[in-house]
Amino acid sequence: MARKLDDIFNECYERIRSGESLESCLMRYPEHRAELEPLLRTAFDIGRRTSYIQPRPEFKHWSRVRLEGAQHYAGQQRQPAKPSLFSWRQSWAVAVTAVLVLLLTGGSTVAASSNALPDEPLYQVKLATEQVRFAFAISDASKAELHTRLAENRALEIEAMTDQGKTEYAVIAAEKLANQLEQANLAMSKVESVRGEAAPSTTTPETTVTEPVPSAPPSQPGEVTEEQPTPTEGQPTPPTATTQDKGVTAKTEHFKKSLEKSTSKSLTALENALEKAPPQAKPNLQRAINIISERSHEKPPNENGTGGWGNGDKHEDKDGGKNGADSNGKKEDKPTPVTPEPSQPTTQNEDKTGNGGIYPFHRQSSQ
Amino acid sequence: MLSEEYLVQQAVNGDQGAFTQLYNQNFDRIYRYIYVKVRNQTEAEDLTQDVFIKALESIGSYKWRNLPFAAWLFKIAHNRVIDHVRKVSKEKRASLDEAYAKSVEDPVQMTERNFEVYQLKEALEQLPGAQREVATLRFIGQLSIAEVAKTLGKSEGTVKALQFNATVSLRKALYGKLDG
Repeated sequence: MARKLDDIFNECYERIRSGESLESCLMRYPEHRAELEPLLRTAFDIGRRTSYIQPRPEFKHWSRVRLEGAQHYAGQQRQPAKPSLFSWRQSWAVAVTAVLVLLLTGGSTVAASSNALPDEPLYQVKLATEQVRFAFAISDASKAELHTRLAENRALEIEAMTDQGKTEYAVIAAEKLANQLEQANLAMSKVESVRGEAAPSTTTPETTVTEPVPSAPPSQPGEVTEEQPTPTEGQPTPPTATTQDKGVTAKTEHFKKSLEKSTSKSLTALENALEKAPPQAKPNLQRAINIISERSHEKPPNENGTGGWGNGDKHEDKDGGKNGADSNGKKEDKPTPVTPEPSQPTTQNEDKTGNGGIYPFHRQSSQ
Repeated sequence: MLSEEYLVQQAVNGDQGAFTQLYNQNFDRIYRYIYVKVRNQTEAEDLTQDVFIKALESIGSYKWRNLPFAAWLFKIAHNRVIDHVRKVSKEKRASLDEAYAKSVEDPVQMTERNFEVYQLKEALEQLPGAQREVATLRFIGQLSIAEVAKTLGKSEGTVKALQFNATVSLRKALYGKLDG
């Protein structure tokens, strides 16, 4: 029985990856040459295009620093030989990493980073130290407060970057602000739901929140189960609200006002920048404005239904391949950013990615 | 060079150097895999870091069952991406990335590369889910057929067929024709 073409294609693909030439492989299967050649060229052209996608060097560096800090901490935890060696929280890992950063770079660096802007080298240190603060924010109220303060930081960064005309960095800060807004809303909703539960005349069901468990099996690493408390709509506020309740309410109101202020400040800065920006920068700024507007108005996300392994295709197919389409169904995405190796030529016959992303043929426009 | 199985065993036993080596071997391809899926550099960075933190947290319970370490990492990455995509709406996924397209010495070359990557992502988006997953793991993640099969829980024959069909479709999408 003749071999299937998909099998032959795979064999040739592997052979070429191992160093054999395209021509040599095609000569093995002259009867399939016409079909195989363009497909093999396509497969390796994908590898070539993929090789342009490179993580930013500074991200790679800081990521490794953080991971090494986490490893260091895990190593320390291992000493008492407890059964669950890796059951520490991610936030602690980040905290220890940042402490490591502190030790490695000196306290003055961390202090100096507190006012760093997104276009400055110390900005990554600033972000790392912010993560440390999260590690020590145990309660939802303290998390809400911290997210609120960090949103203020992001707003200041957006203002500074737009003032300097560095819209690309303003957009980066805007993305981070959108995340802070979401997290702040989530933390505040938890604070409020706990307060609601504690109230004597409400009958809110018990809330069970299972956070992503670090030591959970990798097959479902991000699984989150949360029974959202049923809002007690229509029920009057308990007439005998405690002093503590009042304090919590006042705090959350304060946070909300601060978040509104940060949002408003950021949107104003971005909108001003949008007016002055060159045409090519406008789409990014507009999207940044949209995402902040959406996050500032949306309700806290429901974390139910996070995905498990194997059913992602179904979800992704819902897009119908129209991700990024605007309201008119028109694709708005532009060529996405990549950070290629500066010295990497457009045409290359070798793997410069270090992981086998080879492209063994010269690029041909006739493809 | 140390075998992957040995490295993984060392990492499971708490050898930090071994884990760092596995991290170095897999970081770029995990990043690429995620980047192509989420189409946003900031999100890809966050998720990539998250994948390795998860891996570090879970490696103590990792059992070598002839499933390559990379396949295990890709599983984690896949799940993180699915969680992320479910959480973020399509509009919010729209790329803000052009912000990073500045680190270029030659803007023309950069634009050309950006466009080629963009075309690739668009072409992948058009594939049916199973073909897209195989093409991403195989051509972008650089996993072997056996690794992809184990990662996806499919037979090697099925993966080969999906790979072939995906390549045909990608060729059509990228160049608009089947031959030549």
